[in-house]
Order: sequence, then C-alpha cells, then structure tokens
Amino acid sequence: MRDLSIEFCGVKFPTPFLLSASVVSNTAEMIARGFEKGFGGVSYKTLCVQSYDDMKIINPSPRTHAYNYGSKKLVGLQNVESITDRSLKDNINDIKWLKKNYPKHIVIGSIMGFSKDEWRDLALTCEDASVDMLELNLSCPHMAIEGSGAKVGQVPELVKEVTHVARNAVKLPILVKLTPNVTDMTEVALYAKEGGADGITAINTVAGLSGIGLDDFVPFPNVFGKGAISGFSGPVVKPIGLRFIAELAMKKELGLPLSGVGGIETWIDAVEYLLAGASTVQMTTSVIRYGHRVVEDMCEGLSDFMDEKGFKQVKDIVGKALPNIHETSEFDLSRQGAVQFDLDRCIGCGNCYRACQDAGAQCITWDSEKRRPTVDETKCYTCMACSFVCPIDNPPLITFKEIKGKKPYIPEPSKL
Amino acid sequence: MEKTLRRTNLLKSLFDVEEGYSLGQAIVEADRCLLCHEAPCNAACPAETEPGTFIRKLCLKNLKGAIRTIKENNILGGICGIVCPTDKLCEEACLATEIDKPINIGKLQRFLVEYGWQIGFNPLIKKPAKNIKVAVVGSGPAGLTCAAYLAEEGYDVTVFESNKKPGGILRYGVPPFRLGEDFVDREIKDIIALGVKIKCNSPIKGKGAIEILLKEGFEAVFVGTGLSSPYKLNIPGAHLKNVITSTELLKDVRAENQEKISELVKNKNVAIIGGGSVAMDVANTCKVFKAKKVYCIALESMQELPADKDDLQMAIDNYVIIKPQCRVKEIIGKDDTVIGVKGNETEWKVPGLLIPSNAEDVPGTEFSLEAGAVIIAIGSGPDSQLKEQLPNVKFTERGLIQINKDTLATAVNGIYAGGDIVRGPVLVVDSVADGKKGAKSIIKFLQGGK
Repeated sequence: MRDLSIEFCGVKFPTPFLLSASVVSNTAEMIARGFEKGFGGVSYKTLCVQSYDDMKIINPSPRTHAYNYGSKKLVGLQNVESITDRSLKDNINDIKWLKKNYPKHIVIGSIMGFSKDEWRDLALTCEDASVDMLELNLSCPHMAIEGSGAKVGQVPELVKEVTHVARNAVKLPILVKLTPNVTDMTEVALYAKEGGADGITAINTVAGLSGIGLDDFVPFPNVFGKGAISGFSGPVVKPIGLRFIAELAMKKELGLPLSGVGGIETWIDAVEYLLAGASTVQMTTSVIRYGHRVVEDMCEGLSDFMDEKGFKQVKDIVGKALPNIHETSEFDLSRQGAVQFDLDRCIGCGNCYRACQDAGAQCITWDSEKRRPTVDETKCYTCMACSFVCPIDNPPLITFKEIKGKKPYIPEPSKL
Repeated sequence: MEKTLRRTNLLKSLFDVEEGYSLGQAIVEADRCLLCHEAPCNAACPAETEPGTFIRKLCLKNLKGAIRTIKENNILGGICGIVCPTDKLCEEACLATEIDKPINIGKLQRFLVEYGWQIGFNPLIKKPAKNIKVAVVGSGPAGLTCAAYLAEEGYDVTVFESNKKPGGILRYGVPPFRLGEDFVDREIKDIIALGVKIKCNSPIKGKGAIEILLKEGFEAVFVGTGLSSPYKLNIPGAHLKNVITSTELLKDVRAENQEKISELVKNKNVAIIGGGSVAMDVANTCKVFKAKKVYCIALESMQELPADKDDLQMAIDNYVIIKPQCRVKEIIGKDDTVIGVKGNETEWKVPGLLIPSNAEDVPGTEFSLEAGAVIIAIGSGPDSQLKEQLPNVKFTERGLIQINKDTLATAVNGIYAGGDIVRGPVLVVDSVADGKKGAKSIIKFLQGGK
C-alpha cells in the first residue's frame, strides 16, 4: 500500500478520506472504528452550545428516507436530522479521547453557533479540546432554528462575518462548509476567504424532496403526517458536488484548499474529486450503505491507481483535471464522430435501435430476422443514447469514434 | 433461502409446493430484464402471454398493468407460470442468458397473478350480456380458456365436466407438490367471476350427445375433452395386479386416496415406464409415499428425455433412478401380483428418431429388477366413446378430432375443438392458445362471419 497521506491547510492527514459531520461522526466510539478501517480523519458531528431552554436540539422521528433506483438501494438519502443533540460536554470528552488515542488522525471540530458569541465560544472550546481544525457549518439546509445553517450560508456578508468571528478567536485552520443551494458558490467562498477561511468544504446536502406517499400525500420522511424539503445526499448528488469543487478550484481569486463532499462511494469517485481539485474527501451516505469497510476499498483502489498512473503522492493528483474543464463554447465543432458497434459481442436485444428511434437520430436500422442493428454513420449525431441502453459493458460494445471530415448531421425536414 | 432452493431439495410432503416470489424478489428479478425490442420471449409463448410486456410494466412499477397484460392474454396465466416448461419456451428465448441466466419468467408471471389476488385486483371486465348460449365440453385448459374469453365478450357459457371438480388435467394430472389445488381453484374462480357456469359431474353421454347440444339452445360448442384414456403396454404381465397407469395414480393423489397409494408403493421398489414430466411426477409421488427404489425406465437417452428439466432435476434430487435407453419387455408376477420387471438396454436404429419401433435391444444388456408395482406413464389417447358422441365430426387415424387449423372448426358447423383432443398431447399453454383461438372463431361464427 502506498503512503496516502496528504497535507491539507497545513495539517497532515494519514489518508484523504474523512467521515463527514453527520450521523457517522456522532460519537468517539464509532469514529474510532472508522479510523481503524482507514479513515484519516473526521469532521465531528456539528457542535452547538445548547442553552437547554429554547434551543435544545430534538431530532424528528424518523430522521431519514432512502431514495432507491430499481433494485439498487440508497442511491440517494434525504435527512431531516439536526446538528448534534448530545451535550457539548459529552462531545468534548469524546473529542479529547479521540485525540488522545488517535493522535495521528485528524479531528475537525464542526461547529454551528446561533449568535456571534456562540461561534466564538464554540471555536475556543474546540481549540481547548485540541481539535486539529475547525469547520464552520453554514450550510445545513434544514435547521429548525432561524438564523442558522444554510440560511446564513446563502448570505455572503454573514458568511464573512461568522468566519471573521472564528478567525479572531482561534489560530486553528478554519474550513467553511458551504451549501450548494445557491446560484454561485464561488462568490460565497470569496466572502469566506475575506473572513479568514483557510479552506472550503463543499458540498453540504442539496435541498430536496425524495418522494411523496401515494396514500396520504405526505412527503418522505413522513414525520407523523408532515414532510419537509430538506438535505439530500448520496451517489445521485455526486455530479453536483464535483461541479462545485471544480468551480471553486478554478476560481483564481479564491486559491484555497478544498475538501470535497457529495456521493463518494468508490475510489473512483474519490479520485475524481481529487482530480477536480479537492485535497481531502468526506462521506456519509456511503458509510450508511456499506459501513466503515467502504474506506478499505478506497485506500486500496487509490493506492493501485497511483501505482498504475505513476503518482508518488496523493497531492500530485489534486486538480489534474482542471486544465481540461472548459466553457462549451471552446469545443472544437469542426470534428465529428459516430458510434461504433462491436457486433461480434451483440446479443440482439435491440435496445440501441429503440433508443435511436425514439430519442436519437434514427440512424440505426434493425434487422428483425437476424436481430442485429446497422448504423448509418453519416446520420449518427453521437447522442450516444444507444450506448447507454446497451447491456454489454466492460468493455462497452458501443463506443465513440471520430470520423475524419464528417459534417455535423442535422435531421432532414419531417415527412408529415 | 429455503424456499428458493426448494427445487433442489427433497420433497417433504405431497403438498410441499415451491413458494412464489415476494414483491421484493420479483422486482429484483425483473430488474435483470434487458427489456428487449421485439422481445423474443413474447414470440416464444404459444398463448401470447407477452412476458416482455408484463415484465416491462413491472419494471416501471405499473403492477396493475402487468397483471392486466397477463390475465387478458392468458386467463390461466398463474397456472402456466407454474407448470409451463419455460426452459423450452419463453426462457429459452430470453437474451439475458447471453449475459448471465434467463429471467425467471414463469415465477414472475405466477407472482403477478398471485399479487393481483392478494391486493384484490381483477383486471377482467365483462361486456354486456348477449343472451347467446355456448357450450364447452371439458373443463381442462382449452375448455376453460375458451369459456372465459367467450364470457368476457358477453356470451352465456356453460362448461360440462364429467369429473367431480373442474380443471381436467390441471387438477387430475399434476401432483399437488407441483401445482396446489388451492391455486387451481383460485384461478378458476376468476373464470367463474366472468359468469361462466361450470357443471361438474355432467358427462355428455350417449349417441350424438355433443352434437345434440346445438339443438338444445346452444348456438356453438367447443370440445376440449383432452386425452383421457391412458395408453397401456402390450407386454407379458401387463394385466397383473399392481400394474397401473400414471393417470390412475395421479387421480388417486388428488382424491387423497392416500391409503390406496401407500398400499401400492410403500416400502416397495417401483418401476415407472416412461421418461416424460408425468413419469417424473409419478416417481416423485412414489418417493413421497415412501417407496424404496424408484426407477424411471425410458427409451430415450438422458439428453433426449422428454421431461421438463426442472421436473427431471426434482426426480434426481429425490433419489429417483433414471434408466435411460432401456425397455421393459416383461412384467414378472407371482400369484397374479407384480414381483419385478425384465428388460434390455436399447439403442436407436436411426439416431434421433424417438419412436418405440426405432429402438433395438443391445445384446448382453438384459436386466431384471425386483419391483412391487409398475406404473405406466407413456401418455394417453382419446376416449373411445367420443366418436359416438360426435357422429358427424371427422376424426384422424389416431382418433383425434380433425379441425381446420386456422379456425379449429370441426366438420360440423358450429362445433369447434381444441387442445389435446385435436393435437395429441401438448402443453397446457398450447391448450390455452387453442382456447383463445376457438373463442375467436366462435365469436366470428356467431356474428355471422366466416
């Protein structure tokens, strides 16, 4: 196994894989088991002051709902869970225990205050407990308490202000965790930087509605007859998380290190986040789905990937895809291609034909007798739909190839 | 796990039926379907049950639609899901085989039908009554199907059944561990719900009796009497006590004449002559009734055995001994009762021509087996009285009813026939196809078309 360590905001992580601030980082005992499996650190479940009068955190029941696809379980997860409902004292004891027993692992104190004083107090408390970094939670999309969570993260001025409070209180590196429920995250990130942030964590959950009961018309999770638009996570949000990380990484004025979050389940997902500019990655839904063992496969997969591609250190991977991300206006439209079929491996299901007929260029013809497709390359406009529905993968039967000198195909006038 | 592995396990009792899928299992299985264009499974179903369509509907969570597709296309869809040799039909055509293994179409079909019953969804809608009477003779798969489709169109259908209960071969020719009687009753209930009247214990006896129905207010008749006379073997000893036919044994099983069967086979070796699914059913039944050694003696080689793969596997799993390419030449008796069989191993004179006259003995392979019972499972032929009941209908040399292949019309105007009685022994699903075709022709006939 290669050395997977990486320096992030001046802190050395044994591996780039972190448990994110959520159900999977609720207690020291469960986090310790995660460390044993290969997690390099944790963003500890978001701490708050809990004044025990009007702001006591009580979680709804049930807290989460799975979004499944076909027989594939948990491709998404909606939750209405709050930040920690444990007392600050218990949490701080847990953090101290973790730092004592796992001194090389990184504990990030995720915090959320409901006033400037609370932000400052929480930052100082975390510093006293010898956390390695802070992560300001300005992004939870379903906080029940007004003036907190994503409501703050959506107002750049407030982001700057809160970050500034924490910055003035402690010397620790500060991450600001941002919400994807904004039009332009890079603008908010710049405000965080102005406030004194050392890095950005993105994304928090995407505001979503994962389903509605057909008998009672109550959205899921159904909390005794009531549903809510709330945080949605899991593999289906990966493209969104990856987009924000790439945007943040490409923002020249920002120039802050990034921790990527959103739908990371395999080492490939993790490598993609690294390629898009993240230095560490955090996860929750995949741990819910597969348990801590999910990180064993990430460590092994990342190590083998580095061997295969000749990367000596994890940091060498970071941002490697960024030079290849462009505006679509920069595409070379003079070059065109067509799909290519490896018909020796075709089993004759005809899904390619159906997709091409109903959703494509109608460039595939179908021999009902032989049950085989034929492509008219000149008419193929490479929507690639046929390749998506072809059941023969690994390697794919239908691939893209460039056709030198080919003109873009535009459908002929309809014969109506 | 036990239920999915049941088919490779020992039968625990006569009523040890394989369980169907749960909703979850069905969805996982349907998810493997490739949803082929011009689905080959559709083309492979004789009854046009359209598996490709109902599986797609299941995949797209259109469960009621899936049930509707099955029941509209195949009124006995649940039963077919259980008894069809799917490995030779829809599942043989399944292209998922190219990737992994065929979709278990039979079990999905059974699941959807049962699921409809479970949620109380009946997709069949009866059209307004037409006050036109049609008679169906025989309540096997062909007769029941024909009756159902006619009733759906509003015809007043009466089915005449000679047995105590309806179902024909479905009830009296399949042992309970393959097809539960409750299941048969439940699917027939769907047919009765369409308004079909089934008169049991009502054989149509006597000269010209079936043709006379046309003069008794019935404007058309469908004959689906099946093959009820089991073939016997013309060999020495065939008359001995404890030599019976598979038909008799399976009828006793349904009638729950358990003592009679026990007396016949318990603690005895049993020699079964035949290598089809019925022979395997009989062999497994004997095993359930604690027979000692059970032999299936067949002229075919292992690869050529006509039994459905699953049925054969079930027999093997229940320690039935298959003796392929063997012929019993004599049944040995003592005091008029069977004590054994004698025979020879055989070879085909012309390879691949699977008829008894093409088998020849291989010298030096004579065998004899001790056996306390012999069960003949070599198929059945038409009832000898049928010709008398249909004097103006034409019959083939084999005693089957001659019909127009496109319309199933017999030589008598208004009388149609389908299923085993016109085709010889065919699958349940083939009889369903005939029932549908017969109903279409009868409707056309009654509407004055030709």
